[in-house]
Amino acid sequence: MRFTLIVLPVLMVLAACAALLVGSTVSPADTLTAIFGGGDELTRGVLLELRVPRVLVGLGVGAALGLAGTILQAVLRNPLASPEVTGVGSGAVLGAVAGTVFLGIADQPEALTIAAVLGGVLGGASLWLIAAKSDPLRLAVLGVLVSAVLAGASLVLLTARPQLAGAAARWLVGSLSGRTWEHWNGLWPWLLVVVLAAVVLAPALDLLAVDDDHARTVGLAVVPWRLTALGAAVLATAAAVAAAGTVSFVGLLAPHAVRRVLGAEHRWLLPASALAGAACVAGADFAAQALTALVPSSGSQRIGIPTGAVTALLGAVVLVVVARRASRAQVEGGSR
Amino acid sequence: MKRSVVVAALALLVVCVAALCLGTPIVGVNRLPAAFAGETDLEHAVVVLLRAPRLVLGLLVGAALAVAGLLLQESLRNPLAVPELLGVSSGAAVLVGVCVVWALPIPGAPLVPALIGAVVGGLITLLAARRAVGPAAVLLVGAAVNAAMQALLLTAVSLSDSREQGVLFRYLLGSLTGTTWESVALSAPGLIALLPLALLCVPLLGVLRLGDETASALGVRADRARLIVLVVASALVAIAVAPSGPIAWVGFLGPHLARRLRPNADPRVWMAWSALFGALLVVVADLAARTVLYPVELPVGGLTALVAIVLAALLIRRRGEVA
Repeated sequence: MRFTLIVLPVLMVLAACAALLVGSTVSPADTLTAIFGGGDELTRGVLLELRVPRVLVGLGVGAALGLAGTILQAVLRNPLASPEVTGVGSGAVLGAVAGTVFLGIADQPEALTIAAVLGGVLGGASLWLIAAKSDPLRLAVLGVLVSAVLAGASLVLLTARPQLAGAAARWLVGSLSGRTWEHWNGLWPWLLVVVLAAVVLAPALDLLAVDDDHARTVGLAVVPWRLTALGAAVLATAAAVAAAGTVSFVGLLAPHAVRRVLGAEHRWLLPASALAGAACVAGADFAAQALTALVPSSGSQRIGIPTGAVTALLGAVVLVVVARRASRAQVEGGSR
Repeated sequence: MKRSVVVAALALLVVCVAALCLGTPIVGVNRLPAAFAGETDLEHAVVVLLRAPRLVLGLLVGAALAVAGLLLQESLRNPLAVPELLGVSSGAAVLVGVCVVWALPIPGAPLVPALIGAVVGGLITLLAARRAVGPAAVLLVGAAVNAAMQALLLTAVSLSDSREQGVLFRYLLGSLTGTTWESVALSAPGLIALLPLALLCVPLLGVLRLGDETASALGVRADRARLIVLVVASALVAIAVAPSGPIAWVGFLGPHLARRLRPNADPRVWMAWSALFGALLVVVADLAARTVLYPVELPVGGLTALVAIVLAALLIRRRGEVA
């Protein structure tokens, strides 16, 4: 267990360094000299104004999504829960898209985050209304449907404003390109709130993840704690969406990777998922930028492969594995 | 039975005439013959060159998607098995999108890439879901495959020229905007050839409904029969998706309405009614999409998706048919 808690930060730092070193304009060697104080004005500018905020936003988004996924899986007692499968993620996107289309707040991170939070609450609440008492698999299928409705609504809104389509495509799939200090400033206060909430929530999550009666017996006020936990998850997802769009499946990947090693105790699980999520997004960003160099671009400007595409491909594989395992567990458990 | 056929024919006629007449400018019903004869230049152009191909393609695509949906649902014994949740539509859309973005010189585009994409998408889902137990798990695996495909497609969109992006977005949602007689000519022969093939699959469906064990007791190899049905369904989806994009959830609504309205009919009757409902649905939705917010044209797939997914959620909730 200790070993994992050392390995994860190291992994995260490695992924961040890798993401810091690659990019289209400045070579890795030049970047290294700039880090150690050398290099020219341009290199240092690229490093400090483009690469560093991009990596920071990536780490923050990953941590937020890792936390959101862990909390959702505990509270819903569902190994399949994640922002993508509960309507929270696509609700947040819808909120942000609606804000952009109707209010023109695309360049105001704070307002965008609030719009995303409202949308995320809408998505989560609609799933709750439809599927409160379903078993894990059915909840997940209903969640996919709710997400599909919300994603479709975002696309419909976007077709009303075709000039936003390009930026929006990168947003729907999740991308870190063009993230600046402004985005980081919009992200970190929310992240701080979520991290503090996670610290407070960890013991309660252990109880909520088992069952309500047991939690009540040991004196936990189940409903307020559950609502607080869900609120924290929505907030984390919305902050991540407002900063970088839907970086899919990180909220599913990170907790599952970590839980296999660390077991189910949330006081270890939460920080480890946050670290794993951060490492995952930074690593995916590195991979996306490295791949961009290999892919021919037909456009006049080089935009790059969105980070979310890499995580979505990885995450789809994990979702398949988890869904199979959950279906077999359900059959063996005789719950059908 | 006879009365319902008359009602259906009347509904089809009314919808077709409405689709030809309504819009901007409105063409009176009494002027339609003149417009078809080419006596008035403007109305001839609007009705014959703009609205008629759109109507024909809408009818064909709707019928094909609904029949494909019925084939998938009956062969997998899962009322929610729709092309959208099995990676079939998105597979087709991905390859078409990629071919457009990188201008790949594939012969027979967009039909051939759509066909390959649909079959590959469906096969990936089936292989990935092979060891999953129960319909809900299969759907979830399909949703995962679908998510990966969507990510690829959005990546292609974001790598493309900004002039193409609006068009690709529309395509992503499914839209009949800009249909010409050429796009009808491209997909009509394939669809018309495949619909009878779908009818030939009906006996297989009847056997598959009984369950795999009974089917093998009757001397039918269930997995092989299912594969045949799936390939026919994928081909239908692919040819429908190639010109218009994945018009969402018609493959769910059509068969579902058919089953609801004729609960005890045999699959052949269901297929006919599914095709009819699918065709009506797409044409009506398209009419709404192009007139409600004129001059903004909504993508028709957005409308069909909103209607259908609400119904699907109600269905799972009320009857628990999936899990």
